Amino acid sequence: MPSSNPLPPKEAALFKRILKCYEHKQYKNGLKFAKQILSNPKYAEHGETLAMKGLILNCLAKKDEAYDNVKRGLRNDLKSHVCWHVYGLLQRSDRKYDEAIKCYRNALKWDKENLQILRDLSLLQVQMRDLEGYKETRHQLLLLRPAQRVSWIGFAMALHLVNEFDMAITVLEEYRKTQQPRSFDYEHSEFLLYENQVMREAGLLEKALDHLHQNQDYILDVLVFQESKADILMRLGRWEEAKQVVESLIERNTENWEYLRLLQRCSAAESTESRLRLFDQLCQRFQRAQAPRRMALYLEYDTADLRQRFRDTLNAYLRAGLSRGPPLFASIKSLYSDAWKVAVIEELLVSYLDEVNAGRDPTCPSAPAESTESDDSLLPCTALWVNIILAQHWSAVGRSADAMRHVDAAIEHTPTMVELYVLKAKIYKRGGDPAKAAQWMEEAQSMDTADRFLNSKCTKYLLRCDRVEDACSMASKFTREGVGAMENLNEMQCLWFLSECARAFQRQRRFGDALKKCIEIDRHFSEMVEDQFDFHTYCTRKMTLRSYMHMLRFEDGIRGHRFFVDAAVMAMNIYLELHDHPVADQDGLHDDQQDNLSAAELKKLKSKQRKAARRAQQQEEQRRDTEQSRPEELDPATLERVERPLDEAARWLQPLQDRAASSVDTHLLAFELHWRRGKPLLMLQAAKRVHAIDPQHPRLHEHVVRLASRTFHVADAVATVLKQELHRLMGGHDVVDFDRRFLEDNRHSLPHLLEAMHVSVVHLKTTPPETAADALYAAKLMGQPLHAGIQMMDALHKGTFGVCTTQQMDTLRQQCRLAWPLATAFE
Amino acid sequence: MNAETRSTRGGMIALGQVTPHNIKQLKKLNQVVFPVAYNDKFYKDVLEVGELAKLAYYNDIVVGAVCCRVDTSEGRRRLYIMTLGCLAPYRRLTIGTLMLEHVLSICERDGKLDALYLHVQVNNEAALAFYRKFGFEVIETKEQYYKKIEPADAYVLEKNLRPKEE
Repeated sequence: MPSSNPLPPKEAALFKRILKCYEHKQYKNGLKFAKQILSNPKYAEHGETLAMKGLILNCLAKKDEAYDNVKRGLRNDLKSHVCWHVYGLLQRSDRKYDEAIKCYRNALKWDKENLQILRDLSLLQVQMRDLEGYKETRHQLLLLRPAQRVSWIGFAMALHLVNEFDMAITVLEEYRKTQQPRSFDYEHSEFLLYENQVMREAGLLEKALDHLHQNQDYILDVLVFQESKADILMRLGRWEEAKQVVESLIERNTENWEYLRLLQRCSAAESTESRLRLFDQLCQRFQRAQAPRRMALYLEYDTADLRQRFRDTLNAYLRAGLSRGPPLFASIKSLYSDAWKVAVIEELLVSYLDEVNAGRDPTCPSAPAESTESDDSLLPCTALWVNIILAQHWSAVGRSADAMRHVDAAIEHTPTMVELYVLKAKIYKRGGDPAKAAQWMEEAQSMDTADRFLNSKCTKYLLRCDRVEDACSMASKFTREGVGAMENLNEMQCLWFLSECARAFQRQRRFGDALKKCIEIDRHFSEMVEDQFDFHTYCTRKMTLRSYMHMLRFEDGIRGHRFFVDAAVMAMNIYLELHDHPVADQDGLHDDQQDNLSAAELKKLKSKQRKAARRAQQQEEQRRDTEQSRPEELDPATLERVERPLDEAARWLQPLQDRAASSVDTHLLAFELHWRRGKPLLMLQAAKRVHAIDPQHPRLHEHVVRLASRTFHVADAVATVLKQELHRLMGGHDVVDFDRRFLEDNRHSLPHLLEAMHVSVVHLKTTPPETAADALYAAKLMGQPLHAGIQMMDALHKGTFGVCTTQQMDTLRQQCRLAWPLATAFE
Repeated sequence: MNAETRSTRGGMIALGQVTPHNIKQLKKLNQVVFPVAYNDKFYKDVLEVGELAKLAYYNDIVVGAVCCRVDTSEGRRRLYIMTLGCLAPYRRLTIGTLMLEHVLSICERDGKLDALYLHVQVNNEAALAFYRKFGFEVIETKEQYYKKIEPADAYVLEKNLRPKEE
C-alpha cells in the first residue's frame, strides 16, 4: 500500500495489528498500538496511523476527536488511500453520503483496485442513486473478482437499473450457464424469475416466454410463474392461451380483483353485458366467491334495462350480506360516487326497513309467507343490521339527523354492541361535532379496553377535537411503560399519530408545535430511505432480487406517500400563514399595543424582533446542515419565527412536485407560494397543472381570476405569454364573462358559489358586497359539504364579501343549522 | 371464550369470561335487563368469582349474562344466582338454558353445594315458568324485598342439589 511515509518493519507490524484490532472491534488495543507508533518522534505525525486512530475513536463515539485525528492524518498524507478511505467511512457513519463518495473516489485514485473501497463505494452509489457510477464500480468489481457470484449479479442489476437490458440479460445468461442447480434450489428459482423480469421489462416477450418454459422445472414459485406467463401472453396478444392461464389463477384465488380484470381483457369483454355474463359464469362456478359479485356492481350501467339488472344484482347482494353487519356498508361505499346508484341503494335499504316493520325478514331467502310462524320469521339481529346500514347510508349522504335516529334505534335494541357506539361517534364526526364524537368513541373504548383498534380510534378522535393531552393518556394505555406516549409513538414512527397531532396544533394556531411534528414526519421518511442501506448487500447475497428491485423503486417514490404529502401540505400552509401574519415577539406586544410606545421604544422593539427572526433563520439553516449527522432537538418557538418562511415553504414544495404531481393540492399551494413571491409565469404553470387534473376545481377559478386581474411589471414577451395562456384557460372569454359562466355551470355547488362570489366581490368588483348575502340565501344548503358551510360563515364573519348585517348573518346561520343539524360550528 | 358453542335460530351462541376489559358490557346489560341497580361492589365481586360469572354471546355480540356467588347463610352452603338475563330481542333462543346449564354443571362439579336458589319478582311469569322447568320450586315469599319497584315482593326459588338426603 503506497504511502508517502512508509513505516519501518517494527512500526509496520504494529500498524497491521491496529487494522486487525479494528476489524475485531478491540478498540482499546488498537488505540494502544497507535499510541506506540505515534510516540516515536519520527512518526508522530504519521498520516495513516492518525487516520486509523480517528476511525477507532469514531467507533467509541468520540466524534470530534475522531474527525480531528483523521483530518490531521489526511493532511499529512494526501496520497494515502487509507486516509481517504477512513475519511470516507467517517462521513458515511454521519450519513454524509455525497462527501463519502468523493472521499472514496479519491482513495481509488491512489489504489485503483482496492476491493474494499470499491465495495463501499458501490453501496453508497446505489444508496444515492448515482446509477451510472454504480454501473462502473460494479463493472470494475466483476473484472477484479469474476469468481464471486455476487459480482455477476451486482453488475447485472446495475445494468438493469440504467435500463441497459440487453447487456444485463447477457450477463445473467453467462452467470446462469455456470450454475448447476440442486433440486428445490430456491435461490436459483429466484434468480430465474428475476432474469425473466428483466426480459419482460426489455420487451423481449418471445424470449421471456421460452425462458419460462425451458426453466419451468427449476422455477419453484408457481404463482409468479403463472402470473408472468399470463402477462407475457397478453402482451403478445395470444388471448386464448392467456385466458386459460388466468382462469387457473382465478381457481387458485377467486378474490383477486386483478385476475378478474385480466380475465375481462382476455375475453375481450368490453360492453357491460359481456362483462356481466362473465361475472355470472364465475359466480355460478364459484358459489362462495365475493369478488365477482362485488365487481359486477362497479360496472357502468347506462341503459334502463341494465339499471334494472343493477338493482336486482344489488338487491341480492345486500340481502345476502346484511347479516355481516357493519362490513357490508364498507363493501359498497365506493358506489357512492355515482348519484343514481346512491338513489337505488337508498330505495332498497328503505324497503328493507319497511319489510322489517311489517314483520318480514329481508335476510331470509324469499320463502313463501310462512305466516304460521309470523312472530318468529324475523331473526333477532335483522332489525339491528338494517338500522346499522341505514345509519351508515344517511351519514354518507349528509343527513346526519336521520342517521342518528337509526343508530339510536340500534342501540336501544342491543346496547351491548360496541360497534354501535363507534358508529355513533362517526356520525357525530361527519356531522360536524368533534367533541361529541370523541365522547362517544371514549364510551366505545371503555367497553372493551383490551382492544387496541378502539384505543387508536379513540386517540384519533380526541386529537380531532384538540384534546391533545387526553389523547396522549389514551394512547399511553398501549405504549411502553415509563415513557410518554408522544415520545414513544414518535420513536415507533407512528405516522398517523404524528399527522393528527400536527393537525390539532395547526387548528389551535400553535404553529411551532405543528411544524415540529411535520419535521418529525419528514425525518421518519428520511430514516426509511436510510434503512435500505443494509439491503444492498443482503439481498444480492440472498438472491431475493425481485423484492430488492421492488424495494428500490418503492424507495424512489416514497415521498409520494399520503402521510408525507399531508405533512408537506400542512407545513406549506403554515409557512404561508406565517409569512402573511408573522408571530409576535416573545416579550410580545401585539400590533395594537405597539401604538402606546414612543418612537424610540418602537424602533428598539422592532430591531429586537428582527434580530430574533434572523437568529431563528440561522438556527434553521444550521439545523438543516447538521441534520444529516446530528438530528437536533426541535424548538417550536424557534421554528415559528423563521425570517424567511417562504424559503422553507419552497423546500417542502420540492418533493411534492416530484412525487405528488397528480394531486391538486400541490399545485394550488405552489400558486399561493409564487403569488407571494411575485412570479407570474410560475403561477401560470401551477394553474395550468390544476386545470389538467380538474378544470372545474373551485379554487382554480379564483386563482385564474386573481392572476388575470393583476398587472405585473414584467418584460413584454412575458406579458404576452401570460395574456395568451390566461385567455386559453378562461376558454377564450374575458374575465367577467368567464366568472359569469363559471357561476352558471356550478350553480348548485356551494364551494364553487363561494369562490365565484369571492372573485366577483373582491377581484372583479362586479358584484356589490350587499348583494352577496342575498345570493347566499338563495343557495340550497341541504346536501352540500359541511366544510363549505363553515367556509361561508367564516367569510361573512371576516367581511370578505363585504359588510353583512347581523340579521342577515343570523338568518344564514339558522339555515346552516337546518342543513347541518349536528354541527357545532353554527352555534 | 368457552370452547362450547351451540347453534340456535339465526346463529351461534357461546359463553365467555367476564374480565376487567369487558366488564362495562356486563354493566350495560344489567342496566337494561334488570329493574334493580347494582353497585360498584357487585361488579368488583363479579371479577373474583371465576366461572360463576359468564357473558352469553349471540353471533359474537354480548346479549346475556349470569352472575352467581357461593352463599353460606342459614347454615347451608348454597349457590345464589344474583343475575341471569338476556336482552329482550334475543329471548327464546335457548340462551337462558345455556347459562343455567352452565351453572348446574358447576354445581355438579363442586359436589358440596346443598342447593341453588334465586329471587324472582312475583309478577315475572316467564321467569317462574323457566326455572320450574329446571326443577326449581317456590319455597318462600319475601315481602317488600325490592325497595324501588312494584310489586315489591319476591319469591325465593330453590333447587335442591342433594336429592338423596332425607
